[in-house]
Order: sequence, then structure tokens, then C-alpha cells
Amino acid sequence: MEHTYQYAWVIPLLPLPVIMSMGFGLILIPTATKNLRRIWAFPSVLLLSIAMVFSVQLSIQQINGSSIYQYLWSWTVNNDFSLEFGYLIDPLTSIMLILITTVGILVLIYSDGYMSHDEGYLRFFVYISFFNTSMLGLVTSSNLIQIYFFWELVGMCSYLLIGFWFTRPIAASACQKAFVTNRVGDFGLLLGILGFFWITGSLEFRDLFKIANNWIPNNGVNSLLTTLCAFLLFLGAVAKSAQFPLHVWLPDAMEGPTPISALIQAATMVAAGIFLLARLLPLFISLPLIMSFISLVGTITLFLGATLALAQRDIKRSLAYSTMSQLGYMMLALGIGSYQAALFHLITHAYSKALLFLGSGSVIHSMEPLVGYSPDKSQNMVLMGGLRKYIPITRTTFLWGTLSLCGIPPLACFWSKDEILSNSWLYSPFFGIIASFTAGLTAFYMFRIYLLTFDGYLRVHFQNYSSTKESSLYSISLWGKRIPKGVNRDFVLSTTKSGVSFFSQNIPKIQGNTRNRIGSFTTSFGAKNTFAYPHETGNTMLFPLLILLLFTLFIGFIGISFDNGGIGNGIAELTILSKWLTPSINFTQESSNSFVNSYEFITNAISSVTLAIFGLFIAYIFYGSAYSFFQNLDLINSFYKGNPKKEFLDQVKKNIYSWSYNRGYIDIFYTRVFTLGIRGLTELTEFFDKGVIYGITNGVGLPSFCIGEEIKYVGGGRISSYLFFFLCYVSLFLFFFLS
Amino acid sequence: MSYFPWLTILVVLPIFAGSLIFFLPHKGNKVVRWYTISICLLEFLLMTYAFCYHFQLEDPLIQLKEDYKWIDVFDFHWRLGIDGLSLGSILLTGFITTLATLAAWPITRNSRLFYFLMLAMYSGQIGLFSSRDLLLFFIMWELELIPVYLLLSMWGGKRRLYSATKFILYTAGGSIFFLIGVLGMGLYGSNEPGLDLERLINQSYPATLEILLYFGFLIAYAVKLPIIPLHTWLPDTHGEAHYSTCMLLAGILLKMGAYGLIRINMELLPHAHYLFSPWLVIIGAIQIIYAASTSLGQRNFKKRIAYSSVSHMGFIIIGIGSITNIGLNGAILQILSHGFIGATLFFLAGTASDRMRLVYLEELGGISIPMPKIFTMFSSFSMASLALPGMSGFVAELVVFFGLITSPKFLLMPKTLITFVMAIGMILTPIYLLSMLRQMFYGYKLFNVPNANFVDSGPRELFILICIFLPVIGIGIYPDFVLSLSVDRVEALLSNYYPK
Repeated sequence: MEHTYQYAWVIPLLPLPVIMSMGFGLILIPTATKNLRRIWAFPSVLLLSIAMVFSVQLSIQQINGSSIYQYLWSWTVNNDFSLEFGYLIDPLTSIMLILITTVGILVLIYSDGYMSHDEGYLRFFVYISFFNTSMLGLVTSSNLIQIYFFWELVGMCSYLLIGFWFTRPIAASACQKAFVTNRVGDFGLLLGILGFFWITGSLEFRDLFKIANNWIPNNGVNSLLTTLCAFLLFLGAVAKSAQFPLHVWLPDAMEGPTPISALIQAATMVAAGIFLLARLLPLFISLPLIMSFISLVGTITLFLGATLALAQRDIKRSLAYSTMSQLGYMMLALGIGSYQAALFHLITHAYSKALLFLGSGSVIHSMEPLVGYSPDKSQNMVLMGGLRKYIPITRTTFLWGTLSLCGIPPLACFWSKDEILSNSWLYSPFFGIIASFTAGLTAFYMFRIYLLTFDGYLRVHFQNYSSTKESSLYSISLWGKRIPKGVNRDFVLSTTKSGVSFFSQNIPKIQGNTRNRIGSFTTSFGAKNTFAYPHETGNTMLFPLLILLLFTLFIGFIGISFDNGGIGNGIAELTILSKWLTPSINFTQESSNSFVNSYEFITNAISSVTLAIFGLFIAYIFYGSAYSFFQNLDLINSFYKGNPKKEFLDQVKKNIYSWSYNRGYIDIFYTRVFTLGIRGLTELTEFFDKGVIYGITNGVGLPSFCIGEEIKYVGGGRISSYLFFFLCYVSLFLFFFLS
Repeated sequence: MSYFPWLTILVVLPIFAGSLIFFLPHKGNKVVRWYTISICLLEFLLMTYAFCYHFQLEDPLIQLKEDYKWIDVFDFHWRLGIDGLSLGSILLTGFITTLATLAAWPITRNSRLFYFLMLAMYSGQIGLFSSRDLLLFFIMWELELIPVYLLLSMWGGKRRLYSATKFILYTAGGSIFFLIGVLGMGLYGSNEPGLDLERLINQSYPATLEILLYFGFLIAYAVKLPIIPLHTWLPDTHGEAHYSTCMLLAGILLKMGAYGLIRINMELLPHAHYLFSPWLVIIGAIQIIYAASTSLGQRNFKKRIAYSSVSHMGFIIIGIGSITNIGLNGAILQILSHGFIGATLFFLAGTASDRMRLVYLEELGGISIPMPKIFTMFSSFSMASLALPGMSGFVAELVVFFGLITSPKFLLMPKTLITFVMAIGMILTPIYLLSMLRQMFYGYKLFNVPNANFVDSGPRELFILICIFLPVIGIGIYPDFVLSLSVDRVEALLSNYYPK
């Protein structure tokens, strides 16, 4: 069986031939290549499937084997210094490999349907396959430079994919934002790598871990430099995994096509940051300061993400913030040292989130013919509603995904989130409180998305929606449906109707043939066509959804601890995941703190499920379908009636809403500070360049030019002027000499 | 070893063949074009052949030596010879010049003179990289200026005379110091003048004199490279020159400064270099940030790319200043890598602006739809320029980083600080490159340019681009390929610094 290992390096390289032939085909013989179109999709799926089979086989061996390392080839600068390329297959890698390949395949199949009418179909496949390749390369890397190499490639692919519809100005700025923000992280990563190279003299993970293990007996190396370097490495993960200060790119990244959002958020890009930390955990574990910092950042992020997700109108943005929040959970888990829980959550979240994203893509796809192709409309949850009647399969899968993410028992995310929650309680009550509270929030906003999208009635036909940002009244109505201060719904609608429209104001016409044209900004459709209803999407898009549903239902079982009660002394856990991870757990010297007896497990589970259900319930009150809404209205009114704090509550709610809708004012802050700061710096240097440096040269040039002219004039060869000067000077001389 | 004078042939062939252009029949531009291209190609092939079969990579000494007495009075010889340092540069020269000639295809006005000047530059560059005599080096250095001046002032843009004058004044001003240095070095010590580089290596000078000489040379190279604050000729020149000239300027001419810095300052004046190197590193770090942020403020996209070249030159300076094996190798790699990438970016910018007749970024937008190939290549090379892994820029910068980190000369704090500053440049680079891309290509703006010629790049342009793209990727994935040329030589060079 050893021979499978030997060929493990093939995995990241497998999809390359298709990418290259497609890329060169597109550049050199575009028409011929484009005519083949869907034929190209087949080999890319096929090769990725081969990679998946490979990685599954690897991980089966992994359960009983140990990590392997192989050196392939190197760049040798000289005798002292060489960069080696190789691969390292350990449980972490094999988990990631399976994750990436499965999600990747499903997304590829899905995007065949989703992008089938797009002009850039092949370009999309090139990018997405390259994305998968670089991600596979990232997880198989055996040293830090190799990680950095693929890390940047992943960033580039995300840049290309987010800016895929390059005619949209928003997409253009979004992709730039994503790249630059990630580059800030790469800045940290590179410096961290250099720092560790300087400290330890090696870039190989094995050497690094060995050195790090030596630190632990010496009470850790608390030198400032090591901590700084670890912090810088962490910065890389912060940017990639959209953690608190650098999360701003993630919601904007939703400008890309939906399959990309799914891929970025589920399996590839954001997982890279978690992967890096998980990979380097042996190193970080010896630096307690950094560990607590990681958990702090994770906690901030999970809370912030959840609050920001509360009031988004865009379905994909809400999901993006929810991803951010879930990534915060993983970060927290890593920070408190429960490696296994973090990975478990990574897996379960990846499948659930991929399911949700692809589901939202399906929703968008079915909404697009109705409302137009602008993302402001087709992704707007305000216009959806009642979709369960029209797209039942999508709805079912979406519901399961939502429930899973909320943490409802038999589904995937429940198991992992519960593990994280209980571990965080063990670690520190503060983190525990925030994490549990956020679990409730998660349920709230996820269910809000679900209800707004699928529940109630289809709102497209009842309004002429124009996407003005100023329609705050409208947004308030979205926030609660209960319009405060007696402003009723009709009034809101009428104000928006008369509002200034960003897009074309002309009354929409029925557009029969609705091909997805790139950047069709003047989308116009809607109200007149009362007979148009959303349709269920094609089979190629539903198939991945169903497969992902299966994953979401059952993937949780790999991590469930089958408790043996008091029989096993110490060997209480028999989970597949832990068995899988055993070598690396031993390696990280993690004490088996994840031992939970059944009683504790059940109490934890009950509390978290209660929270989740509470969140669900509140969401249902706020956003439930029209009928239940009216029923509940009395309830709420009676609840609020006579409450002197009603105004206050409204105020609070409005504040929360605007906080959330304005993305916590963080983006605005960044624009004000960093963008303007850089612009200021630019102006300063430009002024310096133009004013001082140019000024000096021109200042030297101009007088010398003048002097030259003067001399030319003086030395013009006119005898009379010579005589004039001569006489002048003689008279001056005489004047001074005589007086 | 045969005594076939390979290098003399390589140096003389282009200019000789170029002067024959004037005797060609007047049958339109086509003849001249094909003639020039075939000369360039022949030269390039000869070069490759000569280096393949008559050059031993393992030998760090000067090879293919030639020595003919030229002017006896002050011991001036026609001394040529190459080693690992110059090999890469010469090959780069051949490669880029050939492609630049191909890029100059659309030039029809006074094409005979144009192509003659191109070939004259070719000779001058190869002569510079292969000369082993200080005075010959100087002569080649000056020989280079005249064609550039003419190319700039005759085939440039609107403000061509201003920038040509600026260029010639700057470089000629630098050359004065160069000449002083050459004479000072040649006349010092022994009673008879000696300009042989071989002999000069072993000569030692009093500290003050060495510093003075070093400084003189440094000014000349600082103009050429350029090092701030002597860089202002570069944006003007690149903004105005025709893109084929720009390719030569960015691809090769700037590298002459770096080459001179290694060849003369490092090799001949080690003590002064040891003293000066911290300043070089500091200036390099400042330059990276300074030029990057200035680049961001440019409205003209050619100037933006020009400043990006200035910024990338900072890595070369740091690599040279780090005095480590790794750093110096990185600098050499960066010379080559920027030679490819910078030249291509100028080519792309030139072709794009020729089509739209616009150079200001805010006027542009949405040209990716009519020109997808230019868009693709522009994006690829921007990525290469911002040091995306897998392309040559990344390897070069990374190796320079490692060189600085491992340098024993610097203390921990300054080293950390400088690395930080360099890495900030890494954040600024994508900002200006990507915002340029965004402003040029993204969006959907339809502008009304009268008789704009929105044709995507044809096979000729695509050929040039792909020709350069392949080595960029090749070096990025397997840098040993290029590093092996210079490693031994660099080791020998640095042995002067750290005697073991």
C-alpha cells in the first residue's frame, strides 16, 4: 500500500493539464475552444474525482498509518540555503484533501448548471479548477514557503473569481479589496515565516515542531521576537479566514458568482487560515500569549459576525457574515487548544455552508428571470418570500442546512458546535457565555434568512422595489415587519415607489429571453408579469445540493463520541475523527480534555439546543409567514402594550439594525482611515517628488538656461555691446578707485 | 579551447550589420524590418551557441577572454570576457532586444535610422556586459546613451524633447563622476596607468580615496538604476518613449546600473562597499515605499509602471547591500526577472495606449471587453510584477528577503525594521497595480474616442508576450535554472568580504 503514498504529490497536479489546455486554448484559439464549452467541464470534474479517490484512499490508510513526508525537489541557491518542495500527508492533510475535493467536485457540477449561459463559462472553469489546485497544493505542503506559495495563489484565484464579472464596478472594487486585504495578511505571513526561519533556521514543519517541542520543557520561549513572529503568522490566518480586523473582504467577495462564494467560504479559501493555524498548532501551543490572543480574536469575530448578519438584506451577504461567525468558532476552538473540535467544525461547517450557498445560488437563479440580473435585486431577500411553493427541493435542502448550522441535534453542525461550546465553557466562562449567546444569535439570523426567503408570500409581485439605499423606512420594515410609529406597510412601499431609483426608472417590460448577460445593469423586469413564478433549477444544480444534504445529515457521526460509560478506563472516545486524528493529537501533546461523559454531554447539548430553539422562535415571531405574523402580532402587542420601555426598545432595535446594516461601521472606518491615509501618503510623496526633486532639477536647469541665454546674448559678437560693457566697467573702476 | 573571438563578434556584429541597413535597397520598411530581426536573431543564436559550447558554468573565473592592444599610450586594451555575473545579463539583452525589435514593427517613420539605433544599442549593451577593461566599460556606457537619446527625441511622444534632454543631462551628469572614478582608479598607485579589471581587483586604496571613488561610481549607477533621489528622468523618459524603446530601457538599461554596482563597486572597492552597504539597504527600503506610493498617485499609467520599476529596483539595491550570498543572488535574479516583467509591462501599456490614444487612467475603463487578450496578459504580468508565487518576481524578492535576514552584517533591530518596511512595499504594490488594472479594464465605461482602434492583440504581439511569459513562469517554478549561472561567481566575489 505504500505506493499510494509515493504518488500523493500527484493530487495537486492532477487538475493542471485541463487548466493549462483550457487557458492556452482560450488565449490562442478562442472560438474553437469556446465551441467545445461543456465538453471541457467533463475532464475537469473527472480529474478532480480522481484526486478525490486518491485522497480517500490516502485517508483510509491514514487511519492506521502515520504521517509521511517526502521531499521531491528543491531550489538550491547555494550550499547554505535551499528551498525544498515536498509533501506532507498527515491526518489533517487528508481531511482537508477530502473536504476540498468533495466540495470542489460538487461545486464544479453545480457551476456547470449555474454558469451555463454565461459567456465566461470556460474562463470560470479555468479559474475554479486552478483554485482547487492551489488549495490542494496548500494542504499538502511540507514547509512554510510552500504554504506561502500556494497561499498567494489561492489569493490570486479568489481575486480573479470575485472579479469574474469584471464589467461590474462593484465586483472590480470587491476583488481588489479582497486581494489587498489578503495581502495584508500575506505581509504578516511572510514576515512570520522569515522570522521563524531566522529563529530556528528551518522552514520544514517537522523541524519546526521538533524545535517547538524543545521549548515546552524549557517553559516556553517567551522571547518577544518569537511571540511577534507567531503573531505575524497569525495575521496571515486572520486575513484569509476573515477574522475580526481583516474580515472586510468576505462580504464583498459575494460579488463573485455563487458557486465561488460556496467554494471560498466552505472548503477552500477561508479554510486555509484555519488549516494554517491547525498545522502550526504545535508551534503556537508553546506560546500561551498567542493562544489566548487567538481565542480572543475568534470570540470577537464570532460575536461580530453574528451581529452583522442580523440585518443584511442580501442573502449571500448574510451567509457570508454567518461564515465569518462560524470561522470565529473554529478560531476560538483552536485558541483554547481543542484541535479536534476546530477541525470537526471545519468539516461540518464546510458541508453545511456549501449546501446553504449552493441553495442560495439556486434561489438566486430562480429569482433572476423575475427580478433581473442585478445582484441588488436577485439576491435581495426583500423580494423573495414564499419560495417554498415554487422551488420545493431547494427549500428542503436549504432548511436542513439552516437547521444544521443552527445546531439542531441530529445534523452535522450540532455535534461540532456543541463540542466547541463545552470546551469554551471549560476554558473560560467569558468565552463560553459569548459563544453560547452567539449560538442563539446564529439560530436567529439563519432562520431569519430562511423565513424571509421561503416563507410567506412572494413579495416581488406586490411592489415595485427600487434599490435606494436611503429607504431606511423600508429597511426597518424588513427588520421587523412591525413598522414602528404607526407607519404602515403601504406607506413604506409608496415612499419607495416614489424614491429615486439608482437604476432605470422606466416601467419594466417583460423580457422573454433572459440570458445572463454580463453586467446587465439596466435590468428591468417585474411587476407586470404576474404570471411569472420562480422555477426549480436544473438537475445539474440540484444534484450537488442533494449530495451535500447527505453529507450534512451524516457527516456529524464521524465525530460523535460513543460513550462507553465507566467501562473503558480512559478510552472513552471511539470517534472516527479522533481515531483519525490520533497521531497528530499525540503529536500536539494535547491532553485528552475532550473527554466528556454522557451526563455532561447531555446537559451541554440541552443548553445549546435550547438556545438555538429560542433563537429560532424569536426569528419566527419576527419574520414568520404572514398568517402567523398576524396571530403573533396580538401577542407581541400585548407583550409590549403598556410597556413604557417600548420606545426605548425600538431605539435599541434601530441602533442594532443600523450597526448591522452598516457592517458595524468598520468598513467606513477603514475607508476613512486607511484608504484616505494611503491617499494622503501618496499625495505627500507625489508632492515631494514633483515639488522637491523635480523642483531641484528644474531649479538647477532653469537658471542655467537663463544664464546661458544671457551669455549667448552677451557673447553675441556685437562690438558695440563689448565697447559698452568695457566702458561701463572702466568708468565704475575709475569711480571707485578715485573716490 | 579555441581562440575564436566569440565576444568580439558578438559585440561588433549588430552595429556592423546595422550600418549596412543604409545600403539596403529602398523597398519599403519590410526589408529593413526583416533584416534587423534576422540580425537580432542570428546574434541571439550565436550567443546561445557560444555560451553553450564554450563556457563552463562551474568555473568562476573569467572566460572567453580576449585582449587586443588598442591605444598604447595609456594602456587601453580591447579586453573582453564574461563570467557568471554577465552571462545572464547578456542573454537577457539578446532576448529582450530581439523581442523589442519585433515589437517595433509598427514603426514606419524613418525606420532605417530607428533600426540602426536599435542595433547600435544592442552592441553597446553586450559590449558593456562583456568588457573587462574599465575604460572600455566607460566607453560602452556612453555609447549606450546616444542611441537612447535619439530614439527618445525622434520617436517619442509629445514632450519627447524635454524628456530626452532630461535623460541625457542626468546620465551625462552621472557619467562625469564615472569618468573621474575611472581615471582615479586607473592612475592611482603604479607609475603606469592600469585599467584592467583583473588587476584592479587586487589593488587596495587608502580609505578616503576608496570612499570617494565608490561615491563617484555610485552616483553614475544611481542615475542609471535609478536610486532616489536621482530617479526623475525615468518616469518622464518612459512616459514619452516608444514602447519598444521602453522595453530596452526598462529591460536592459536600468540593469546596467545594477551590473556596474556589482561589477565595479562590489568587486573592486570591497571596503567602501562594506561601509556603504547599510546606507544602500536603507535607501533601497525607502525607495520601495517611496516609489510605490508615488506610483499610486500617477494618473498616467505609463508613469505608474515607470515608478513601479523604480520600486522594484529597491530590491536589487537591498540585495546588493546585504552582502550575502543569498541576497546577491536574489539581486541578480531580480535583475533578470524585472528585465522580463518590466519590459513586458511597458510593451503592454504602449500597445494599449496606442490603441486608445489615452494615457490617463481616469479616462479609461472597460476596455477588457474589446481586448480580452491584452487584459489577460496585462493581468498576468501585473501579477508577476506584484510577486505572485510561481513567477520570477516572487522568487527574486523572496531570495532578497532571505538574504537580508541571514546577513551577518546587520544587527537584529535594523534588520527587522528594514524587513518590515520592505514588506509594507509588498502591500503597496498590489494596490497600485490592481487599481491600475481596475481603472483600465474593469467596468463597462463606453467612451467616445473618435476612430479608436479597438483591436485585440494580434499574433505578433501575442507571440512576444508568450515568449516572455514562459521564462517568467520558468524562473518562478525552477529558479535554479538561472541561479546556477551566477552562484559560483557570487561565492567567489563574496569571499573578499568574509575571509574565512
